Amino acid sequence: MSALLIKRLFRSLWRTKLRLFSVVFMIVIGVFSGISFGSYAITANSLYDVIYADTEEGVNLPDLWVETHSGVWDEANASTLCTNIETSWPDTSLQFKFCEPRLKLDGLTFYQTSSGEEKLVPSVWHGIDEGLVDRVWLPDDECCEGRLASADNEIVLDEHAASGMGFEVGDSISIAAGFGKMDYTIVGIGFHSNHLYFAQEGVLMPADAGTFVTGYMDASGLERLSNYSAGSANLLLIDIEGTPEYDLQSTTAIEGVQLSLISEHIASNISQNNNSAIQVYDRSGVDSVEFLRADAEGAIKSYPYVTGMLGLVAGITIFLSLQRLIQSQAKEIAVLRTLGVRRRSIMPGYVIAPLFIGGVGSLFGVILGYFVGAPAMSEMYEDIIGVPIIETFIPTSLILQNIGIVMVIVFISGIRPAWQAAQMQPLDVFRGQSEIRLSSRTIQRLTAWMPATVSLSVRSSLRKPMRLAFTFFAVGISMLIFGSMILMMGSIDEVVIGGLEERQSWDSQIYISPGGEHEVIQWAEGNDVNYELLLQFPANPKDDSRQIISQGIDEFSTTDNGAMQILVLKEGSTPQISSQTTQVMVDEGTAHFLDWGVGDIQTLEFGSNEVDVEIVGITQGEISRTIYFHRADLVEILDFEATSVLLVLPEGVEIPADLAENTLGIMVKEDIINSFETMMKVQKQFYVAVEGLGTILAVAVLFNTLLMNLAERDTELATLRVLGAPIKSIGLMMLGEHIAIGIIGGILAAIFSIVGTKILIGAMVQWAFFFTVQANWPVFVLIAGVVLGISIALTPFGMWRVWKMNLVDSVKDLSN
Amino acid sequence: MMEMTGIKRHYEMASGVVKALDGIDLQVKAGERLLLLGPSGSGKTTLLNCIAALDSPTEGTYFFEGNPVPRNAAEQMTTFRRDTIGFVFQNFNLLQDLTVLENVLLIQEIAGVIDEKRARELLILVGLENEIDRFPAEISGGQQQRVAIARSIAKKPKLLLGDELTGSLDSKTSETVMEVLVKACEAENITTVMVTHDESLAKYATRVVRLDSGLILSDNPVEN
Ligand SMILES: Nc1ncnc2c1ncn2[C@@H]1O[C@H](COP(=O)(O)OP(=O)(O)OP(=O)(O)O)[C@@H](O)[C@H]1O
Ligand SMILES: [Mg+2]
Repeated sequence: MSALLIKRLFRSLWRTKLRLFSVVFMIVIGVFSGISFGSYAITANSLYDVIYADTEEGVNLPDLWVETHSGVWDEANASTLCTNIETSWPDTSLQFKFCEPRLKLDGLTFYQTSSGEEKLVPSVWHGIDEGLVDRVWLPDDECCEGRLASADNEIVLDEHAASGMGFEVGDSISIAAGFGKMDYTIVGIGFHSNHLYFAQEGVLMPADAGTFVTGYMDASGLERLSNYSAGSANLLLIDIEGTPEYDLQSTTAIEGVQLSLISEHIASNISQNNNSAIQVYDRSGVDSVEFLRADAEGAIKSYPYVTGMLGLVAGITIFLSLQRLIQSQAKEIAVLRTLGVRRRSIMPGYVIAPLFIGGVGSLFGVILGYFVGAPAMSEMYEDIIGVPIIETFIPTSLILQNIGIVMVIVFISGIRPAWQAAQMQPLDVFRGQSEIRLSSRTIQRLTAWMPATVSLSVRSSLRKPMRLAFTFFAVGISMLIFGSMILMMGSIDEVVIGGLEERQSWDSQIYISPGGEHEVIQWAEGNDVNYELLLQFPANPKDDSRQIISQGIDEFSTTDNGAMQILVLKEGSTPQISSQTTQVMVDEGTAHFLDWGVGDIQTLEFGSNEVDVEIVGITQGEISRTIYFHRADLVEILDFEATSVLLVLPEGVEIPADLAENTLGIMVKEDIINSFETMMKVQKQFYVAVEGLGTILAVAVLFNTLLMNLAERDTELATLRVLGAPIKSIGLMMLGEHIAIGIIGGILAAIFSIVGTKILIGAMVQWAFFFTVQANWPVFVLIAGVVLGISIALTPFGMWRVWKMNLVDSVKDLSN
Repeated sequence: MMEMTGIKRHYEMASGVVKALDGIDLQVKAGERLLLLGPSGSGKTTLLNCIAALDSPTEGTYFFEGNPVPRNAAEQMTTFRRDTIGFVFQNFNLLQDLTVLENVLLIQEIAGVIDEKRARELLILVGLENEIDRFPAEISGGQQQRVAIARSIAKKPKLLLGDELTGSLDSKTSETVMEVLVKACEAENITTVMVTHDESLAKYATRVVRLDSGLILSDNPVEN
């Protein structure tokens, strides 16, 4: 291997600076994104590990929760249950550690907005007794301050709520939990494991400032607010030695076999001795815990693909560029070979060059990712989730992994061209066979009727079909990055906003304890307010711990006829009331994950109560897993009437405070929509940045190929210019060619990105978060249009290139 | 037909001024076949480029049919070339993606006078009736150069220029090509200026001009 040969290669690469830069740029982007995204994933993951740990700083997240949905246990009852659980602990390797009874209630905060308006904000209150498990998290960070509540009129407010509503330590706050309004003093501001992802129950978006409150009291504090006797509980927190594995909802495998056995054991044990409807769940059943884990897991799983995909675009570009370089150097290589330079001296340069490009790109990518990308991602995560990131992790292994991915790709992309260079036969080159590819007869015939200038454009675009194919593939990937963002945003928007605005006509949902509906109905009837009862209760498929929300509704409507909820029927029909086997509809996500279909009879578990249901229809548009019953059928199973009342409030009618005080909280549809819009606003920059990135990549890829196409035809174009072709007609020729490439490439890219997004989404959806992308024409046209636009926009550059061509020099080239 | 007076083409270099042309007076009459001979570096190519309006002289006047030839204005120069000049290159420079016939048609298109019948006649004139639908890579170098000749006269240029147009061909093929060129130019009544090193080509010319160091050394008619 000769240093001079390599020097020559680098000089010739340098001559195509612009193309060289675009390739390096792609690698920078690939490594940068991989590191930023990966660091985000690792940081989020480790953050929760730290928070959930059983340490001084951590909160000691329980391993199992036992929850009753019908009333509360009194002190004696709760402690008997705990003792029973301990004494009848099954014989497994998992050791019982504690059982702590807790009271957790839905309620309301009476909040006066800065404009003086009185608002009833849905709230969740936790009464924390011993605090051996699931403590309040008060990190040593500027977010938080104060101490835990110790008197029965003290409360620790969640940081999300405090910062969103402007509460501070020392302030007083008026709250209720179904038993009138009371005042508490805020003594601390912190976080709780159930509300790190700060969203109302059953809502996927983090709550907008001022629309949701959670607070953590001493056990006596919540007993006072709810008027329950001392020691009352509706929740048992069970801690197990160590951190046992639990079943992840995002996988089909059962990771926590041992833990599932214990939870089944506890469930059947309790329901034998106690007839209250209970539910036993592990960490995957806690929305916040599961959501944050799934999010971090998704990021961890996807960042290597992000790097890989971007690296692939760069790899293809490098491959094409090297091929072009070798082609343009064919004569030189042939001369070298004729002069006796060996094959193995030719090859190394073409292998080293891409590695060098990869190395330079990786270096800048790492620097940018480390100092800009990763911190920015942490900051964005803090903005969205609202939990302080204590430390941003950028492990060396992450950096090496990203560099590794890119280097492997660029290495592979350099191999074939290098081999081709080494294989060149000098005689073929001199005879011109390696350089000139004949236009095929077929294409000649097909284009023979065109004016020669047009057929020339068409034929020369088709001259390198492999190059075009690879280019379209790389443009496809770039546009996948662009298009997937647009499609995903559109679909989420459609599901959330479309679902709420178009298919839900209620404006407030009042949560009530069993029997509490009567008061609401009385008020509604007295005030001409339309209402509908709703019964919601968690269930799960038999022998499967994954949660489905069962919804009992009175009216099944699939058309806009003024019903409170309109369902989108994908398949089948709506259920008949009081059928032999209870008829239900399931959402398409449930059908997808459980492989359930119309006509199936399946068994559901409500606590330990098993119920057979017949699936008669499948609905569309639910993000969470849902199963629809006729409310009367569900009442039969659960033995209570409703968990909430949906209301359509006429202009000017408001829910009176004295009614609100006795409810378990009020959800306002407008608030959810606003929450979603706020979240979208925060994420918008990110999406716009990613879309921009995709576009820039597509520009770089197309630029590279079109430039190569032109460079290849410099002689041709110079000949035409010398023969008197005006720049205008050359420009038109080029434009025609670019339009053709733009249209074909655009259509391919649009198909590619829509299909790709569907596959991506298919891999991304989980039990707790399901949606499908609907491809639509506007998006198709947009994607194809962007590619066409880029292609056309590069024409002036090509024209400029021809324009500045020195004809005297060209003629010199033409004549020797 | 054309008239150059005091044409100079100087290159400003770091090492000093290179006087590629240093005061050329040249008149060409319609129907002449002029051969430019001279040692390497004498300025032949530079002169030809100036005649073609590919290059702009630094000094001097250049009239073509009584009109000044544009200089230092790319598009006007292009138009002049398109309307007036035909070009044959040493390396033929046919467009590889077009067939023989299409190569000729392309030039007609650019000049705005499409006439397929004439294109075919010209190809027959240069002896390529059997190669009309082949691609350049499918015919020999001499045949390619004949296509180039047909191509350059297809738009009826007033002046046909060639720089070492037989430079890539063996002597026998060169003779054929030159014979074809003479025949075609006489048939079409086209004036030609040809640059070469090859003294033996003088027999195809009506006049030989010798250059050295950017100046005309001699200018003699050829007797046939
Ligand atoms: N772009 C340029 N910059 C500087 N000097 C130049 C340039 N082009 C040509 N010259 C110089 O002008 C002189 C004439 O060059 P020209 O190409 O006209 O010679 P020529 O007679 O065609 O030679 P040959 O027979 O070798 O082709 C030479 O000395 C050459 O070095
Ligand atoms: Mg010369």
